[in-house]
This record gives sequence, C-alpha cells and structure tokens, in this order.
Amino acid sequence: MSNEVEETMKRIQSHKGVIGTIVVNSEGIPIKTTLDNTTTVQYAGLISSLADKARSVVRDLDPSNDLTFLRIRSKKHEIMVAPDKEFILIVVQSPTD
Amino acid sequence: MPPTTSIKKVLNTKTLKKSRQSNTRVEDGDDLEEWKKSKQLLRPKDQLELSEGELKDIIARQLGTNDPLIPHNLVQFNYAQGGFELMPPAGPMIVVYEAQGTQVHKESEEAKKQVVEQGLDPAILEISQSTETLAVEEPIPVIPEEVIEEVAAEESEKPEEETEAEEGEGEGEGEGEGEGEGEGESIRPEDDEDKPQTGGKPKKLTNQFNFCERAALTYNNPMRTQETQTIPPPMGTFSANVLQWIIYDAYQEDFEAQQLEKELERERKEKEKAPVSRHQAMAKKLVGKAHQLSEAVQGRVLECWKVLERMVNQNTFDDIAKDYRYWEDPSDEFRDEEGTLLPLWKFHYDKTRKNTVTDIEWNPHYYDLFAVCFGFLDFMKPLEEGAVCLFTLKNPSFPDYICMTDSAVMCVDTHPKYPYMVVIGLYDGSVSVYNVQATCKQPAFRSNNVTNKHRGIVWEVKWAPDLPDGEMNFYSVSEDGKINNWVLMQNDLAVTTIITLFLAKDEVFGPDGTKLKVKGCASCVKFHPKQPLIYLVGTEEGHIYKCSTAYSSMFLLTYEAHHMPVYRIDFNRYNSDIFISCSGDWRIKIWEDNRLEPLFVFDVGACVGDVKWAPYSSTVFAAVTSEGKVYVFDLNVNKYKPICVQAIVSKRRNKLTRISFNPKLPIIIVGDDKGCVQTLKLSPNLRIPCKAPKKQQHLDQWTLQCMKLDKLLSLVREPGALDLPEDTAESIES
Repeated sequence: MSNEVEETMKRIQSHKGVIGTIVVNSEGIPIKTTLDNTTTVQYAGLISSLADKARSVVRDLDPSNDLTFLRIRSKKHEIMVAPDKEFILIVVQSPTD
Repeated sequence: MPPTTSIKKVLNTKTLKKSRQSNTRVEDGDDLEEWKKSKQLLRPKDQLELSEGELKDIIARQLGTNDPLIPHNLVQFNYAQGGFELMPPAGPMIVVYEAQGTQVHKESEEAKKQVVEQGLDPAILEISQSTETLAVEEPIPVIPEEVIEEVAAEESEKPEEETEAEEGEGEGEGEGEGEGEGEGESIRPEDDEDKPQTGGKPKKLTNQFNFCERAALTYNNPMRTQETQTIPPPMGTFSANVLQWIIYDAYQEDFEAQQLEKELERERKEKEKAPVSRHQAMAKKLVGKAHQLSEAVQGRVLECWKVLERMVNQNTFDDIAKDYRYWEDPSDEFRDEEGTLLPLWKFHYDKTRKNTVTDIEWNPHYYDLFAVCFGFLDFMKPLEEGAVCLFTLKNPSFPDYICMTDSAVMCVDTHPKYPYMVVIGLYDGSVSVYNVQATCKQPAFRSNNVTNKHRGIVWEVKWAPDLPDGEMNFYSVSEDGKINNWVLMQNDLAVTTIITLFLAKDEVFGPDGTKLKVKGCASCVKFHPKQPLIYLVGTEEGHIYKCSTAYSSMFLLTYEAHHMPVYRIDFNRYNSDIFISCSGDWRIKIWEDNRLEPLFVFDVGACVGDVKWAPYSSTVFAAVTSEGKVYVFDLNVNKYKPICVQAIVSKRRNKLTRISFNPKLPIIIVGDDKGCVQTLKLSPNLRIPCKAPKKQQHLDQWTLQCMKLDKLLSLVREPGALDLPEDTAESIES
C-alpha cells in the first residue's frame, strides 16, 4: 500500500507543470516535500489553516457535510489540496507554461 | 441616749398642750350647749347619765413610762424544744432610722488599737472623724485639740516609720507596677503575715469589704503588614470558536460513546453467560483495529493522491477536456453527409508499450472507465508478458488498475452486474478472473493447471447470465475449437465444454497415416442479446456458426461468411436479427438471421480488425483497419460509402486493432499495435439523431431508430426477393 502511495506521489511529481508536492501530518508539520524548506513550511502553515477554515465553512453550512478537496487557482499557480483529518496533501502546479 | 431624752421632752410638752386644749374644749362645749339649749339635743340611748359633779370632775391624765399598748405575753414557737416560749417584751423604743457607720469613737479600745496599728495617717483619720462627730455631736468641742496633740505626737514618730515603710515598699516594687494604687493598702498576704513579726509596725487595716479591681493590660503586639507574592501560575491563551458543526460533532461523539458503552455492556453480559476467556480475542481485536486504522489512513492517502493526480491531469490536458466536453465541429454543417473524428487523449502504459492492444471494452457501470488488454498479434515475435489495464478518462496519464500477467492477454470482459469482476483470456490458453476492487496483483480465479485450460489462444471471453443459484459463469472461445463454460466455485473454476467445433469434412490422413478429424478454430463469439441460448461463433476458416448451448454436436446454421478469419461479430442494438461481421478478407458484412446471404458488403481495402454497431443509432457502425484508419458508416445516409474515413495512426508503422463505442458519450476508443489507445470524438454528422415525422411526434428515439432500420432493410430485402439481392451491392463496393 505504502509502495503504491510512493509511486503515485512520484508520478504526480513527474507530471508536466507540477512544481511541488507536500504531505502535511495532522499537526500541520510537513513530513514529505519536494520543495525547499522555507517554501514548504510556508505552504504547510498557510494551507492547513486555510483548509481548516474552508472545512469550517462547509461544516457550518451543513454539519453532516464535509470538505473533501480544495483547489486554489491563482494567476501563476494552481494549488490543489486534499484535506483529511489525519493529513493534508498539497500539490502546486503551474498549469500554463 | 440624748435622742430619747429629747423625745420625752417633746412628749411632755404635748401632753401639757393636750390637757389645756381639752380644757378649752370643755369650756367651748358649755357655750355651745347654752346656745343650743333651746333645741332638743339628740343623745344615744345608752349614754351614761352623769351628774353635774361627775361631769365637772376633772380627770387627771398621767404620763408614765409604761406603754399600755405593748403586749406582754408574746410567744414564739420553738421548734427545738417543741413548745411555745415567752418572748421578751419589746421595749418602748421605736427605731425610726438606723444607719451603721464606720466611725469608731476615738477613745474606745478599738480606736486606740487602730491608731497604733495604722500609724500612717492617724491624724487625718482623727480629724475627719472629729469633724464628722462634730457635725453630729455638738457638745464635744474640746476633743479636736486633744486629737491635734495626738496627731502632732504621732507625726513626730512618723518619719522613721515611713522610711521603714518605704523600704518595705521598695522591696515590693519589683513585683510589678500593675498593682498600681493598691500599693498603699498593701493587701498582699505576705504583708499580713509580716504584721505580727514587725510588731509595732503601723499598718493599714485591711478592709475586707473593699474590693480591688485588678486589671492587667498585656502588651499589644504592634500591627504589622506582611505581603508575599506567589509565583503566578503559567498563563496560556485559549481561544476557540464554537460553531454549529463543532456542537454537532460533540453530540455525535457523545452518541458514539454511548453506543460503545452499550456494546461493552452487552459484551460483558455475554461474557458472564459464557465464562470462556475471550481476553485474547479482544486483545487481538484491538491490535487488529490499530492496524486497520493505519491501513485505512494509507488507503485514504492513496485515494487522495489519485484524485490529485486527476486534478493535475485535468490542468495539463485542460484544452482536451474542453474539447471533449464542448467541441462540436462547426464545419460539419457545410460538409454534406460527412463527419470527422476529433482526437482526444491518448492512453498508454509504459510497461506495455511493446504490446498490441488486443481488446478494449468500456465498463458497463462507469462510463469513463474502460479495460484494455495488452497482448500481441504478431506471432513471429512472441512476448512473455501481458497486462490488462483499467483506464479512466479522468486520468489519461496512468491506468487506475493494472493487472500484470505472465502471458499475453488476448481478450477481456467485465461483468455487467459486478463491474469489478474482470475475466481475461490469455495467449497460453488459460483464463483468469480478477476482482480489481480487492486486488490487482493476483487473479481471484485462475485456470492454469494442465487439464483445465484451452489448448490454444483464448480469443474471446464473455460473461454469461448468473446461474439460478447465483454463481457467476462465463464462456471462453479458443483456437482449439472448444467453447467452454466456466463456473466460479468457492475456490476454483469448474469447466464444461459446450461444443467442439468441427468442419463438415471427412477425416483426413495425418502425416503418420492416422486419421484426424479436422476441427474448426473459433476466433470470436457473440451471444444473442435476447435469446441467451443462441450464440454465433466466427472461425478462422471464415465461417460463422449459429449454435445453441443446448446442443453440443450440431450447428443451427452455418454462414459461409468470409474467406479469412472472422475477427468480430456484433449484434445490432436495435434489431437483434441483424448482425455484422468483419474479417481479414478486407470485408465487412451485415447479415440477417436465417438469411445465408449478407444484406450489405463493404470492402475497405485492408484487414478489418474490429467492427462495432453504434449504441446511439441503428444504422451507424465503425470499423478499424490494419492501415490505421477508422471507418464510420451510416447506412441511412449512405449505403455504399463510409461517411468518415480518418487515419488515426501512421499507415506504415501502426495498425489499428480494436474499436469500442462509449455507451453514453459520443466518443470511441481505438487501440493500436503499439500499446496505445486513442480517444476520438464523433463529430455531429456522425451521430445524427432521428427526426420524428410530423404526424408521429410522440415517438421516442428508440422506436424511431427501429423504424429507420426496418425501412432500410425493406429496401434491401426487396431485391433479395427477386433473387438478385446483395450481389449488386457487393459488386458496387468491390
């Protein structure tokens, strides 16, 4: 199972336009990254709080609902976030190149 | 006593006065009597009659010391003696006022003694006494002088005594100032005892009625303020939002805890009932749970990664995705009766780049999922490995499921009811069933022992309807001329041979002189969509046999269809009497049931690898050729020519092998011999829906499609009745 996870992560990293992938654990600490240290820490901190907030919004509208994915499209990048209770997966991609 | 004497005097005078008054009264009475004589005086009857003389007799009154009122015989009961005692007569004295004084007559014994004893201030005492006595007793004026003399005499003695006294007091001082004013009185018991020893020492008399108030004042402790400050407890800032969902979660947790409690309670009860130790089982369960949890997290991580990969792909292939969704070729309006194919994604898997796509099939449940078989068709260069991959349109870069096999995969079929059950036929003659939901690493069922397999390439597998007791089963068609039915038992596959194909030829002599019965080599199979017993088998000899699973020794019908192997047979979706076949003899033929001659024949000038009816139209079908071209026909538009011919891959290097229509979307997938699968979108001209005639607006598309086909067939059949049917069409085409 973990082998498959590794492979998938590597594959995503090899995709066109993918800048980096980050795995953040439940405490908001990045445990796996392909970016440099400061960027990773910045992404992990900001995204985890944003994901919390987004989840809060969704749950507040309907408590039985839940947030599953989050895509942030910016001028330069697209940040794709998979927020879970135990972890957060972040992929940064620049779609136009 | 002087007072008594004075009272006596007073009494005397009073008596005198009385006597005088009584005299006068008597005189007055005479006068009154005189004056009243005229009147009758009323007298009491018992009044003594006195004579004149008696009346004039003066009764002298004497004052004596005897008081006649004093009783002389007062008695008192004596309890001790038990009798009355005569009390002494009370004196004539009347006590008007009595007050006990503290004064003592200075000449009395007691006074003298006092003076001697309290030598300190006898003079003052004397003086005060004398003044008091003076006030009361006037006739003693001389006494003060004597007192003064005494005082003087005593004062002369006093200094010595005082010094002594002071010395004595000096000793006493050490004992405490608290005694204060009581010092002079010296009420201490020591001093009282000292008195006899000192003898003549003047001393104040103790006044036993004097009470001394002794108060002691302790030192007041000075007020003091002491302040201490403890180390402040560690401060922490706690902030939280209480939102609706947090409350909801809290309740949910509570509910779960309650449920757990109930369950534990129930388990405990069960345990009490059955005292078998389940502790180990519980411990195991717990460990298992923890393990499961991490497993579940891993699974979720993988799921998330997969979705993220799809997102990345969506971004990467954004333009293709938009084309796929929105592009409708506008030039179709100007091209009459012709359409185009728009290439979309390409699917391939790195490990199977050398393989040929031997079969492709859309999943019956998920419209975006399709299975691709990787084997080989160039038998001069056999490959060791094969694979079946399940791709989704949402992730063109990588297959969702990969089942690697140790032999080339030649065909695949997905169970219509259980879309995760995938059966494959292999080059080595075996068949395998994968449950892709459980695992792709090894097949759930596999027929790989020596007896339980085909002796040739398995060209087609097909799931059959479930058996009455719910067991899944499928058919396989092989080069060895056998059609087998496989039933998925508990652990293995049970096989039954349905039919062994034979040729209607006599036995031939083998090279060593033995006689051999020539078998047919099945290359494809198709089950009748409405009659589950009926099926069509295409052979490498070019025949198509109509068979029934009920008869294993005979064919219902034999079509002499092609001159080269039949690669595919497909029933029309709208009319199950119509089927199409393609072959290596470059031809595509459309047949009607029980009619030995084809209705349509199309020659495309190359080996036709696959042909399929379109799901959306009754008259549209598509075929792929080894020249790398896709042909799309619409019989309703053009009975003689394809409405679209498009080269998908380069003619020299690549061949197209398989094609499949998506059951929902207007796209087709084609596979080539380089392990690549291409997605193509059909332009609007290739999928023209039927327009309902004006009189029958209520008809739905299905009926319209059937009507369209029937109309077409009736046109084609008519010349058939004249015995010159398809030859014309064939000749035209060829």
